[in-house]
Amino acid sequence: MKGLSRALAGIIIFLVCWQILSFIVSKVIIPVPRETLGLLAQHLIDPGMLEAALQTAWKVGLALGLVLLLGIIAGLFLGLSEACYDMFRPIIMFIQAVPVVSWLTLVIFAWGIGWRGPVFIAFMSLLPTAILTTVSGIRSLDKDLLEMARVYRVPFKKVFYNIYWGSLLPFIAAIIDVTIGQAWKVVLVAEYLAGGSGLGVEIFNARLVVDSAGAWSVTLMACILGIATERMVKFFLRRILDRWGPA
Amino acid sequence: MGASIKLQGVYKQYGDLKVLEDWELLIRPSERIALLGISGSGKTTLLRLLAGMETPTGGSLEVSTNHIGFVFQEPRLIPWRTVRQNLRFVNEQANIDELLNNLQLQGFADYYPTQLSGGMKQRVNLARALAVSPQLLMLDEAFASLDLKVKVNIMDDVLKLWEQHRFTMLTVTHDLKEALYLADRILLISSLPSRIIHEFPVTLNEARSFASPELMRLEGELLKLVCGD
Repeated sequence: MKGLSRALAGIIIFLVCWQILSFIVSKVIIPVPRETLGLLAQHLIDPGMLEAALQTAWKVGLALGLVLLLGIIAGLFLGLSEACYDMFRPIIMFIQAVPVVSWLTLVIFAWGIGWRGPVFIAFMSLLPTAILTTVSGIRSLDKDLLEMARVYRVPFKKVFYNIYWGSLLPFIAAIIDVTIGQAWKVVLVAEYLAGGSGLGVEIFNARLVVDSAGAWSVTLMACILGIATERMVKFFLRRILDRWGPA
Repeated sequence: MGASIKLQGVYKQYGDLKVLEDWELLIRPSERIALLGISGSGKTTLLRLLAGMETPTGGSLEVSTNHIGFVFQEPRLIPWRTVRQNLRFVNEQANIDELLNNLQLQGFADYYPTQLSGGMKQRVNLARALAVSPQLLMLDEAFASLDLKVKVNIMDDVLKLWEQHRFTMLTVTHDLKEALYLADRILLISSLPSRIIHEFPVTLNEARSFASPELMRLEGELLKLVCGD
């Protein structure tokens, strides 16, 4: 109860600050909360806007899925082989350093405007995090447990499931924790610049007509969706980790 | 039935460091041997060679079984697996309830290692070694971190289990009393490069007591031998 009242107080403080800022700066740049929230309420029942939200959500889901799948597999190989890690490290560092706009140029040349650009950009932006976190997970494996498994001649499949996978789970949780919020932001930017549909495109359209209230209301919608999916994924993740046992 | 072990001219070297030198040893099935030596004298290296975790640099080493139970100094239990799952990890067919009953762990099958005391974890470590129905049981300073009461209780359990299963038992320790209590024969090991410098037969009867005058007397004799007096 105390937590809820504090959260409500936080929201009220946020709205008051927002109101003050819109008076100080300009209502055109920072629209008043009432107008923005009114528009948000309309968006939440507007089929077109819900469709756009769904478009963004599946791109985020696809990018995250690919990041987890390929990032963890690549991380496993690189974590297990020092030589592979040394060989691929420059590529990973390069991917990590490339700015989003450079990927944008690439995807526009390759695929033009459409869904593939945002998915690819989000994938490339988050892949290094997934790979490097998995490598850390593999490297932090308790070598004594592996030695114990070797003494008892336990088959690799069983060792992988019980020791490797168990050690990696907290790291996979960390990957999801870090990447899910990032994925929403990157997909929105990519949609804004090279997407055919989605909330990023809606923000772009609002900007075209200098509709700052429209842009901020779509932004709020994206924030709510982002936080909701993050909470949902973390809830299921916690349940999986709890079922697995204490790490 | 226990396993037999035969070492002929075995030596082990890491770079320039010679750890084991010219080991000649025959261990008969169901014998109980203790390797006694100071820390860093290569005792654990010998166990690792026997367990197949390492290969000797030279000489010949024969262990007549693959059914080896290894009780590590630290329990090495998988933290996110229950006691039952930890035992199943080494042998799916193991009779978990019987193993836990024998080691006074009944009712703890579904506990996680973090929920157990140090002594209980060490019992699980021992239960895991027994889960593979070992013909050779190796204990690597397995009781070093336990308080005396728990240590004596677990050693009593080990002796009872040996009575039942008659596996060959190889204990590595630097504790004289522990060596006397668990072994029929004690091998005194030199510092590096390690060799067997003395063999000490343990002339205790089977009904052993940790506080018996006979054990204390043997401890005195062994101490003289260890200190070179």
